[in-house]
Amino acid sequence: MSGVHVDELLSDHVRGELTDAERTQVEAHLVECAACRSAREGIAHLMSELARTAPVPPPIHWGAYRAELRERIERRGSQPGALWSWLVRPAPALVAAGLVAALVYVGLPGTAPGPGAPDPLALDSTILASRLDLLARLDVVQHLDLLEDFNVIGELDELPEPSKS
Amino acid sequence: MESSDEQLCRDVAERKPGAFDLLVGRYQERAYRIAWSIVRDREEAKDCSQDAFLRLHEAAGSFAGQSKFSTWFYRILVNCCLDQQRRRRGWRRLVGWRDRRADGEDEPDPVEQAPAPLTDPLEHVDAERRMSRVWELVEELSPQQRAAVTLQCREGLATKEIAVVLKLSEATVRVHLHRALSTLRKRLGDEG
Repeated sequence: MSGVHVDELLSDHVRGELTDAERTQVEAHLVECAACRSAREGIAHLMSELARTAPVPPPIHWGAYRAELRERIERRGSQPGALWSWLVRPAPALVAAGLVAALVYVGLPGTAPGPGAPDPLALDSTILASRLDLLARLDVVQHLDLLEDFNVIGELDELPEPSKS
Repeated sequence: MESSDEQLCRDVAERKPGAFDLLVGRYQERAYRIAWSIVRDREEAKDCSQDAFLRLHEAAGSFAGQSKFSTWFYRILVNCCLDQQRRRRGWRRLVGWRDRRADGEDEPDPVEQAPAPLTDPLEHVDAERRMSRVWELVEELSPQQRAAVTLQCREGLATKEIAVVLKLSEATVRVHLHRALSTLRKRLGDEG
């Protein structure tokens, strides 16, 4: 207990939660220190006041509460990829990162085109343009499960248009 | 003979019928009350307490029985509430609450300072009537201090249990409680 000031132990003293050694130390101090005796009295009064006047939360309908809880559990249970759903949230970020990586790869020295090769800027633009449809379909990508993503992303053209509703 | 909470939790892990409903029945009011003490909003308190039951349903098998079930469950619950508070604080930052303040960065965080809004005005009036001045001042404490005061003074948890629930050392809980009670005494004294 060394290093702990007695005043930090006063609320536990009020509640009788101190070890024998701590209680002995606190009580020895209280005999000598009027300020701490007064503080202990104040804390005891305050704690009693807090326990007596604790606010009552607004009432709720417990039947509805349990029904809602059951519904939430069933909803989770009916989603086979419930755990995966937390993991696939970064999917759009992964897609974007993939695009950036592709562009960076094209710009790397080892991948630089030789003489007579197509203009790299034009190549960048071509790659970016080829991926724009993917960004345009972000609403589709966002709702894909992770495992589905990798199979489907390559065949986005074959996906139906998202519903407008 | 009535099953203990700990036994019921093991039964939940084994998906024994009725075990989860029994535990919910035993803890729903306490869970909602503690959540409301921290988030101060009926809907959020309902959501947070339900989130805690959902996590209990999913993670009952991880209850090792090293602490009381209530302590383990309160820890889940308080985490849900503090997560909710952090999310709300994050949203406020995101919408630029601080940027609209003219008086600088030292302005205390409104989420920690102000009571959460109650949507129903009549409910607000009722809540005000129910709440004593000392609990109004508790509202102004930080979420962790408020949780510590609530768990100790209202729910009767020992400092050791509060330490487990809040994932803090006992010494830190004592400091939190000491500072919270000192602040309350000082403010009440200043007003009196």
